[in-house]
Amino acid sequence: MLNVIFFGGLVLYFISMFLQFAGMVFRKEAWSRIAWFLFLGGFALETVYLIARGVAAHRLPLSNQFEFAAAFSWAIGALLVFCYYKLHIEWMQAVGIAAAFLILSYAALQPREITDLMPALRSSWFGFHIGSAAISYAGFMLAGGVGVRYILISRKNKNDKTLVQMDFFIYRLIALGLLMLTITIVTGAIWAEEAWSSFWTWDPKEVWALITWIIYAVYLHLRINRKRRGEFLAWYAIGAVPVVLFTFIGVNTLIPGLHSYGALETIRHLM
Amino acid sequence: MKKILQFFQSMTFGLILLGLITVCSLIGSLIVQNGEPMTYVRYYPDYYQIIFALQFDHIFTSWYFILLAGLLCVNLLFCSIMRIGRIARQKPAVKEAAFRQAGMQKADESKLAEIREYLEGRRCRKEERDGVTVYTKNDIGWYGSFVTHLGLLLTIVLFGAAMYLPKISDQSCYPGDSLMLNDGTRIYVDSFRIEDETGKLDYTSTVNIALPDGRESGLKEVSVNHPVSMGRYKIYQQTYGTIGKIAASRNGTTDEFYLESGDFLSADGKNGIWYDRLYPGFITDDAGRTTLIESTSGHYENPVYVFTLMENGSSEMMMAFPGDSIEVGDLEFTFLEPVEYPGLRIKRTPAMINPLLLAAVLLMTFGLYLAMFVPPVIVSVSDKGYAVHGPKQESVLYDIGNLSDNEESEE
Repeated sequence: MLNVIFFGGLVLYFISMFLQFAGMVFRKEAWSRIAWFLFLGGFALETVYLIARGVAAHRLPLSNQFEFAAAFSWAIGALLVFCYYKLHIEWMQAVGIAAAFLILSYAALQPREITDLMPALRSSWFGFHIGSAAISYAGFMLAGGVGVRYILISRKNKNDKTLVQMDFFIYRLIALGLLMLTITIVTGAIWAEEAWSSFWTWDPKEVWALITWIIYAVYLHLRINRKRRGEFLAWYAIGAVPVVLFTFIGVNTLIPGLHSYGALETIRHLM
Repeated sequence: MKKILQFFQSMTFGLILLGLITVCSLIGSLIVQNGEPMTYVRYYPDYYQIIFALQFDHIFTSWYFILLAGLLCVNLLFCSIMRIGRIARQKPAVKEAAFRQAGMQKADESKLAEIREYLEGRRCRKEERDGVTVYTKNDIGWYGSFVTHLGLLLTIVLFGAAMYLPKISDQSCYPGDSLMLNDGTRIYVDSFRIEDETGKLDYTSTVNIALPDGRESGLKEVSVNHPVSMGRYKIYQQTYGTIGKIAASRNGTTDEFYLESGDFLSADGKNGIWYDRLYPGFITDDAGRTTLIESTSGHYENPVYVFTLMENGSSEMMMAFPGDSIEVGDLEFTFLEPVEYPGLRIKRTPAMINPLLLAAVLLMTFGLYLAMFVPPVIVSVSDKGYAVHGPKQESVLYDIGNLSDNEESEE
């Protein structure tokens, strides 16, 4: 049943993404509206799925690569819903739905069995550390997505009024992401001191979290110079997304380290 | 000289340093750190000399990485000092500019009423002068960037202290034994157990820490994620091991000993057993030959003691299982079930470093929150129009619904 809910959400995301792009290409607003409601349906299913999985596992569903990817995708969806209903932003839908779908597709490729939390992860910092990372990555991912939208629109019309809003929202999303990443790093350091006796061990995951943090901190500093705003920073936000994805996927699977919990299951699954 | 000083405190210099730190971090994440020299010779046969020469094998403790971190601290220090001075000068000037309505945007009555309603709804402070109303809020937002940089500076400095000042030692202790530390602190290990409820092992030691001043922690459990603190000490469950145990009987009295490799147990110094080691198990092939095996799981499922029997000038290598007994001279040895014991990490941190570091990271996080989500609101409204002032005009303009229509004014 859990699988039906998960894949139901994934299929709805896919149809929604497809309709969104078709609606944009053929300029059919009705299609975009339908796509949005399909996305909401998918988001509701993913919400139910994560809650049900958490209940079944008796813990937060954030312990391995699959669960983190599902939570990451869910956080993108949640930000999208917040921006739409609270801030009345509609231009984020296409890129947001595509981002949520891509991350959820990656999740679908991971082993999904529910396992007990290993002793190293049984800590009260678990939820704060990993939950804040999911929100942080979602902010960065959406910022990159909005960057793509910015570039596409600016190529058509450099004076489009939404460009200023998009530029501002890239900043806001990155600000949210950076704040959350700071919380991730801080809670991770406190947790590491509890578990391994050292706040920082220069583990590859820690190093790449620091690299990501620096890259987005540099973005905020570059933005102080108003001449650099717009296209340059939109490209910057896009260019930083692979770093986030490498921190999330690449480090866990390619570089052995203290954070390879999720990757071990993936490797076993592949073998 | 002035130009050099200006460069050291500039954002450009800060960004260059961040870039270089990123490059070092990238290298450090791709090349194994703090490995044995042969590791590099084996894995990087063409580059190991470059790796050693450039200290890539321990890049995060290399002189140039420490120099970069130090220069970043200098940059942050200057940045923070300059920033607080600039804020002190800017704040009253911006308010004056607000009363003059510098950079005013014309707007019709309904738009102005809407802006006033929004600002009053957000409970902004209101000051009026010469027909111009200045709404202000979130004064603390002015200091967001300063607090962030100060917090970051303190974090780096205290992080360095927290990384390098604590004294850490890893020690094994058998259940029922104590560790005596240099300053007179005694760590008593009452028991150790391995739990295997879910197929994932959890290791728990029960310890008591007695400080030289007489204070004691009482019996406390130490496990992964749950260290025990007492005074400046923190005890971590680090590893575990398995040790052999033997009972020696003579004239009706029995003593039990833990066995360590090389121990010679004898009453007269000549006849006795020379302990070699404990093997986790063995396999027997079809021909009846026994091969001792190592453990991959860490479990000692079929433990075998290996020792040399020394008797009347001759020696013979022998094996024994738990429960086996052997008589040598007037001693009777009985091999007991092996005992699992903890490897504890003992960390002694100078007082106040950890709380100060925690305060610094909280300060930095709070600063980031202020800098990015608590923009100072300074909006002047008159009959003719309105103007948004201050360091975060974009956020305020967005909130009052006019981001696309305005260009920020330089102040």
